[in-house]
Amino acid sequence: MPGLRNTLRELRAQRSMTQQELADAIGVTRQTVIAIELDKYSPSLETAFRIAQVFGVPLEQVFQYEWKRK
Amino acid sequence: MGNLSYQERTLWGSLVVELVVYLPYFFFHHQNSVAKVAGMIFAIIVLQIILQSIIAAVTRHRITDERDKLIQLKGYRAGYITLVTLMVVGLGMLWMHTHANAGEFQIHHLNMGLHFLSVFFGMAVISDIVKTLAQIVAYRRGF
Repeated sequence: MPGLRNTLRELRAQRSMTQQELADAIGVTRQTVIAIELDKYSPSLETAFRIAQVFGVPLEQVFQYEWKRK
Repeated sequence: MGNLSYQERTLWGSLVVELVVYLPYFFFHHQNSVAKVAGMIFAIIVLQIILQSIIAAVTRHRITDERDKLIQLKGYRAGYITLVTLMVVGLGMLWMHTHANAGEFQIHHLNMGLHFLSVFFGMAVISDIVKTLAQIVAYRRGF
């Protein structure tokens, strides 16, 4: 997903959290967590906020977006 | 299969059933009949129920999330575009065929219903396969 980056893997590793544990915490499948980590899927705003809440960090620390004007 | 979500497994199951039942129908049948078409639909339903029950039984996490719903919509969009395209192409071919034969439509009126049933069934089948494939591609490649 060009422009959108995330630190999901790093945040998860810091807390020794598995993909399945994170998936259960935010109410998605493990495959969706994998897709987000690989930048293959941009989650909804609601899910993005849920992820940030689970890690206890601001949204900007989880997701970074670089807007590239054409 | 271990790394696939429940929804993705059901899609692969659907694709297998569609190809196993439809491919022989398209390539090996010559004499069409209403009974054959009805038999195909019945076979599809029965095989889908069996296969989907097996997939549900062997899958621990059977949840559907926002990504699954988006991919489902993408698949239906691809299927709908395919169906409309096939209908336009089909109508165009029918129009050309009619004009090429000086306004005489060659299909005997008794077989007309069966021919149209076959054509519409074929269109629905192709659209369904495209829908399933589009969903599988979306799961694999991301979007």
